[in-house]
Amino acid sequence: MENIIEIQGVKKYYKIAKREKGMLETLANLFNRKYETKKAVDDISFSIKPGEIVGFIGPNGAGKSTTVKILSGILYPDSGTVQIDGFIPYKQRKQYVKHIGVVFGQKSQLNWDLPLIESFELMKFIYRIPQKEYEENLKLFIDLLDMEDFINQPVRQLSLGQRMRGDIVASLLHSPQIVFLDEPTIGLDVVAKERIREFVRYMNKTKHTTIIFTTHDMQDIEKVCDRLIMIDKGKKVYDGSIHEIKSKYANFKTLELLLEDGSKELKTFDISVTPMSAVMEQLFSEKNIKDITICESEIDDIIRDIYEGRIVLDRPETERN
Amino acid sequence: MEFAIKKFQDKMTYRLDFFMGIVNTAITILVYLCIYKALYGNAGEVDGISYSMVATHFVITLGLSNAFHYNEMFLQDKIRDGSITNEFLKPVSFTLRLFAENAGEGAFKIIFHFLPALLITLLYTKLCPPVSILGLPVMFCSVALGYLILWLISFIIQTWSFWLFSVWGIITIKNVFVSILSGSLLPLWFMPEPLQKILSFTPFESIYFTPVRIYLGELSGRELLFALAVQVLWIALLGVIASVFWKKGVKKLVVQGG
Repeated sequence: MENIIEIQGVKKYYKIAKREKGMLETLANLFNRKYETKKAVDDISFSIKPGEIVGFIGPNGAGKSTTVKILSGILYPDSGTVQIDGFIPYKQRKQYVKHIGVVFGQKSQLNWDLPLIESFELMKFIYRIPQKEYEENLKLFIDLLDMEDFINQPVRQLSLGQRMRGDIVASLLHSPQIVFLDEPTIGLDVVAKERIREFVRYMNKTKHTTIIFTTHDMQDIEKVCDRLIMIDKGKKVYDGSIHEIKSKYANFKTLELLLEDGSKELKTFDISVTPMSAVMEQLFSEKNIKDITICESEIDDIIRDIYEGRIVLDRPETERN
Repeated sequence: MEFAIKKFQDKMTYRLDFFMGIVNTAITILVYLCIYKALYGNAGEVDGISYSMVATHFVITLGLSNAFHYNEMFLQDKIRDGSITNEFLKPVSFTLRLFAENAGEGAFKIIFHFLPALLITLLYTKLCPPVSILGLPVMFCSVALGYLILWLISFIIQTWSFWLFSVWGIITIKNVFVSILSGSLLPLWFMPEPLQKILSFTPFESIYFTPVRIYLGELSGRELLFALAVQVLWIALLGVIASVFWKKGVKKLVVQGG
């Protein structure tokens, strides 16, 4: 099938005014400003097929949100091409946004003072959603997300979980084919998270919505997404299935050492390079060890190890220079 | 258009705001009328301008400038807290939507602040009647054009918030310039000759002064057409500048937070 999202060599650099401490420096700054370039997104390429759910992860400040903002047509990329569902998002913004739904977990698009249902009505009117489609979607979403109880409450009185559900519904009422969810589970409890995950899976299965999902919660990714794109410092570091990353890095074992003096230490080893017996032998000869726990490589650990540089990923083929 | 109506309804909901608006407009006008009455003393005319002409001038310009006052920090605030993203995700033109909202507010204030204030003023002083019934629709057209000029100037400055952290200072300076140069502090008739000449090459004269002169019948025939054409010309010119700034600004946009 044709790719629905196709991005090539996208870059977005920010210029940040450097500030220096001290009175004199601040004064000097007024006249002669120094700038620093921050590479928020640095040459990222990928393509996504219709109906895929892609998890988009990376440590804080890796450029996830910037990428989502470029994909949703809010930001202009400095270079590179973006083609989504036949549109160039940042150039044909007005036409394009009718076809997508975007949720920014940290920014609500609901009207603070109005009851939830009023905000939905406003969406109906802004997107010119036909009455029948609107009613069907609304009924379905309210059932699925269990929103009956608070639909008539003003948004400011809602809990974060309720508000987030409201935001998700608001961005899906016009039946978009592509949905960007930027940290939709941020700050939610386990039950609320689970409900949102189920909903996302349901939308993908029944409506074949293409979904890009950014999160810091690996459970989200494991339970919802088929594919994982990881970026760090503005560059793509991994693109593939979750199983693949798990089996590839299952060889990495993390040992939690409890030493005689009561302190704890974490050590990560690649047992395909150094066999477990050798690792043990070495550790016992170096340290006074009281107890050893072998931590199973959960996806969380693998990701943490990658972020912290304990595991170095093979550079993906898109990295040329 | 729907945004304008929405804003209109929005404004209706605040009762206190509504009455204060009338009082505010009426007081501003009455204060100026008192000052000029004192300045005129017993003189019938100054520089060929009668007191009732000045009074009419102030009722119109101050009434309109009160009505045309709106939140000029909207774009800056949206950029500052990052909620501009939500605006950009809606399939509507941000510029048109902003204009519709501001114009809706303006229309509301003309009807519900200006007209009642006008009635209050009429109790206090006599105003010039319109020269002709036909002049009124032409004047309304000119008021609308004047509003567009004013809005475009403000919008151009608002777009600077894509580059600058705060445009509040510039907006304040702009407002001082507008109120002096458009004649809402001192009627342009009383400005020194050279300054009047210079002002005729700026958009400020077209904002309030042109409608006032049309109302008073100072312009007729070709002069009238010329004045309207000048207004339209300014709108076109400012419109081009505004769209250049807007397009460049959107490219430059940096979303704060998150």
